[in-house]
Amino acid sequence: MNKYLKRPETGAFAAFLLTYIFFAMATPGTGFVSVNGTAGWLNLAAELGIVAVPVGLLMISGEFDLSIGSTVGAASMILALGTNQFGGPTWPMIAMALMAGGLIGLCNGLAVVKTKLPSFIVTLATNFIVIGATMGVSRLIANVTSSSIFASESAKMVFAFRWGQANISILWWLLVAFIGYRVLSRTAFGNWIYATGGNEDSARAAGVPVERVKVTLFVATGVAAALVGILQGIQWNSGNSTYGMGYVFQAPIVVVIGGVLLTGGYGSVAGIVFGTALFGVISSGIFYTGWNTDWIQLFLGLLLALAVLANNYVRRLALTSK
Amino acid sequence: MFSKLIKSFAIGASVAMSLTAPVFAADEGPILVVSGPLSWPFFAAVKQGFDDGAETFGIDYQYIAVTDTSNMTSDYPRLLQQAISRKPSMLLVGEFFPDGMDPLIREATAAGIPVLIHNSGQTLWEDNGSIGFIGEDPFQMGYKAGELQAEAGVTKGLCFNQVPGNPTVEERCNGYVAAMEEAGVETIYQTIGTGDATNPQAMTQAIKGTLQANPGIDGIYTLNAVPAMSALRAVEEVGRKGEVMIGTADLSNEALLAIQNGDLAFAMDQQPYLQGFMSMQVAFQYLNYGLQPIGHVKTGPLVIDSSNVETTIEVNKKHAGVRGAS
Repeated sequence: MNKYLKRPETGAFAAFLLTYIFFAMATPGTGFVSVNGTAGWLNLAAELGIVAVPVGLLMISGEFDLSIGSTVGAASMILALGTNQFGGPTWPMIAMALMAGGLIGLCNGLAVVKTKLPSFIVTLATNFIVIGATMGVSRLIANVTSSSIFASESAKMVFAFRWGQANISILWWLLVAFIGYRVLSRTAFGNWIYATGGNEDSARAAGVPVERVKVTLFVATGVAAALVGILQGIQWNSGNSTYGMGYVFQAPIVVVIGGVLLTGGYGSVAGIVFGTALFGVISSGIFYTGWNTDWIQLFLGLLLALAVLANNYVRRLALTSK
Repeated sequence: MFSKLIKSFAIGASVAMSLTAPVFAADEGPILVVSGPLSWPFFAAVKQGFDDGAETFGIDYQYIAVTDTSNMTSDYPRLLQQAISRKPSMLLVGEFFPDGMDPLIREATAAGIPVLIHNSGQTLWEDNGSIGFIGEDPFQMGYKAGELQAEAGVTKGLCFNQVPGNPTVEERCNGYVAAMEEAGVETIYQTIGTGDATNPQAMTQAIKGTLQANPGIDGIYTLNAVPAMSALRAVEEVGRKGEVMIGTADLSNEALLAIQNGDLAFAMDQQPYLQGFMSMQVAFQYLNYGLQPIGHVKTGPLVIDSSNVETTIEVNKKHAGVRGAS
């Protein structure tokens, strides 16, 4: 029992459970707990979750990535311009969008390890550069900043399939989370991530390729953000340079709710998944209550603060108990 | 005389540096446009109108807008201030944020700079000394949507505002609510967290939740074409497709196709292209001939529904960007 209490995800799980029960009781008869209601908040959480997992690993290694927002939009626009304005085939365009995401990540990673500047600033700059470039190039090519996407049927199967109201993005989320879990908990690379974030100098002294760890994680984050852009683009038949801007801070928020330390070196993928699920429950459940929506952000902020506090409390309790 | 020559030369040089094309033969400074962010397809169409107008009349101008839309309430007065300080021969302004922009426009007109308002500011132009207004009142746009839904028999309407805090956009909801109330129809006003304004999934789940909490809703008005698609999905997900009348402000390819399919009842077009083109025309004729339209020039709302959607789709395919739908 004690073993489970000490895990980083315990606090996030407790907070998720409490929030879920709260909304289940506050929204009687509105179908929030029904299959369709559940599909709703899972759809919302899945898209955020796909990018939150690599962002979380990156934060465990001690770095931030705030460029994910514009990468999502850029990927969707590459797909839109490629399939619409150029009439290109879907799959190569998807590959191009993913590569663009990886390239943005590579630039972030190299800039951070070469300049030693804080990644918070570096990737914030990238975020502006990428959205600006996306808009500028789209305007030059097609005189638009959002555009329809014409995806092939096979691509729609893979990225926009739905069972009832549950999107295939939920499966993608689980897949990304599973890969993240395997890497972090079952490989040497996972240990390197913890070591890099825990104490970079001693990690380097112990022979951990700190730079490679960081650059790899930045690339993974870029690719995951591009994947979200593709999922959203194909699902909504439209690319938009501003897709994903909300994730810039939502992703680090759910990672922290999930028990990852802002300073790095501590956290788990399961925690990030619960943190994301909690965010999905709050931001969709709140509308099922029928309360005046002007108060939503205040309420959202309070709930988030409470969730983090509860999470922190459980973790401290777990770490001090013998 | 000599100093005036130097002055006009200096201004000409600075304009030539900021523009790639040769300078318009005005010796009193450039024509400056302060208008909306180009990341919105809507203002892309406005700019297309300005560009085409400038080409048609053989004049040059510079388009000034924010690129980061998170702080527009304070950014726009600043941009306007900078534009005025360049002593333009004419100023074409979208008065999006009157509290900060109106005093500046008064300053400009008092200093003898001719100002023409477009897009927003319909109630203000007569008092601040501007020569005219070309565009559409967002309140009237929402009002028309409310009228259409009330006439169609909607008994409980939802206005979904994805960008709370933007006074121009909020006016659309106010107009919708006013028209519905006059017809005795109940309305709900819904907003969403600012981080989710560009997340169609988050908007879908928000509208879905509100539909579940208020099963009586049978009419939805969205303020942009992206949330309109989210509203369609949400209505479908709660199993009420065909029972809820959905209308939206502004256009997109998807919205036009949805009107064609009958899923979307209408989209309100304020013809952004005309706002830019006609502003340029008035500027040219005012500066050269001293001519101007009297009273405000209305560009909308043009209601796009099943009766005229085919033409709109055709035009949108042939002339990308002109309809403000992409």
